[in-house]
Amino acid sequence: MTIEPITGRYLTVTVGGAPRRIYFEEAGQGRPVLCLHTAGADTRQWRHLMNDAGITASNRLIAFDMPWHGKSLPPEGFETQEYLLTTEAYIETVLAVIDGLGLDRPILAGCSMGGRIALQLAALHGHKFSGFIAIEASDFQPAWYDIDWFHRPDAHGGEMGAALVSANISPFAPEAERWNTLWMFMQSGPGVFRGDLSFYTKDDSLIARLPTIDTRKTPVHILVGAYDLTCTPEDARRTAAAIPGATLAVMEELGHFPMSEHPEGFRPFFVEALGKMPQPAARAA
Amino acid sequence: MIDTFRTIQSQLDATPHLQRLGRLFSETVLIEVGGAEYYLTFEKGRIVSVTEGPSRKTPWRFALRTDAEALAQFWQARPAPGFHDIFGLVKIGRGRIDGDILSLVKTLRFFKEVLTLARAKEEQAA
Repeated sequence: MTIEPITGRYLTVTVGGAPRRIYFEEAGQGRPVLCLHTAGADTRQWRHLMNDAGITASNRLIAFDMPWHGKSLPPEGFETQEYLLTTEAYIETVLAVIDGLGLDRPILAGCSMGGRIALQLAALHGHKFSGFIAIEASDFQPAWYDIDWFHRPDAHGGEMGAALVSANISPFAPEAERWNTLWMFMQSGPGVFRGDLSFYTKDDSLIARLPTIDTRKTPVHILVGAYDLTCTPEDARRTAAAIPGATLAVMEELGHFPMSEHPEGFRPFFVEALGKMPQPAARAA
Repeated sequence: MIDTFRTIQSQLDATPHLQRLGRLFSETVLIEVGGAEYYLTFEKGRIVSVTEGPSRKTPWRFALRTDAEALAQFWQARPAPGFHDIFGLVKIGRGRIDGDILSLVKTLRFFKEVLTLARAKEEQAA
């Protein structure tokens, strides 16, 4: 029998003038690292790193399920709403969680849409963070598929979504973790993945903001998997080049969900990224 | 090429979980490889015939159009980026999918996994 060190609790914050009950998990101690999941998934993507004693010995990893995802409920009245995530609501949610948990300038690690919003936060609210690890993160790409396929009554959005995003998983990923990764998409609520992708594929406001990110105050390290069809290495290179001082690592054997699809392959890249972030002593100075 | 599709046919016969996933799928799919046409006719999750075209009389539900070299890479145990998935082929400009996309969407996992039945096994990847 094993009991993992990850603990989960709930907090209620206000977003858009209404309460949101948010599920969060954490493990470890030391400098806070807030982890954001991809579109259509939840905190389980981070569980391998949160169970990694070598990482949690000096890092307090915290991950939360965005409203509508995982164990965070959608807002009251969701049954009549069309879920469409916006940059503004996403930023407000992340900042509300940081305030609610009392986190002091955490490192922000986000993947895919989480990486996109990490870069938005670097541009607009950099002083609230100590650094950014932007994974499978880019300035903008329009959809290379019709996002409406993910939400229609005559096709199963979860099964279809999982079958589509499997295109973004590396053939080097262990089979068990490939399927654990896809399971989250299979479980995603109706229309949620589509609503996330609406944010990801339609808002190009980050492009103009990238040059304003001050990496002397808050370093930005971008990680990208070679098997990522959605945020390709070319997309990530273009993005890194637009941020003065940003650094980039291409992960040749990984895809769009590296911390989830291939934890062992991702670990050294994440450790390297953490090493590029300010140490607590430096932050206090 | 037709031998590879027949291999897929027999592999599918030996893969019960895929037959279960495809139990509602009874359609003909066109695979066009470098201009050559292959028609895979599915019946309740099995391939009941593989025929080579060209044919103007064979109706098909959706089509995947690619080239032999791209498919050879696709069928490697660990394909290079872009060649690892049919949507990768589309994204890198080596494939095109057309026809009744809703039919494909409804059966996406089944169809994708059927096509990978000809993929080399891991131990052959080294």
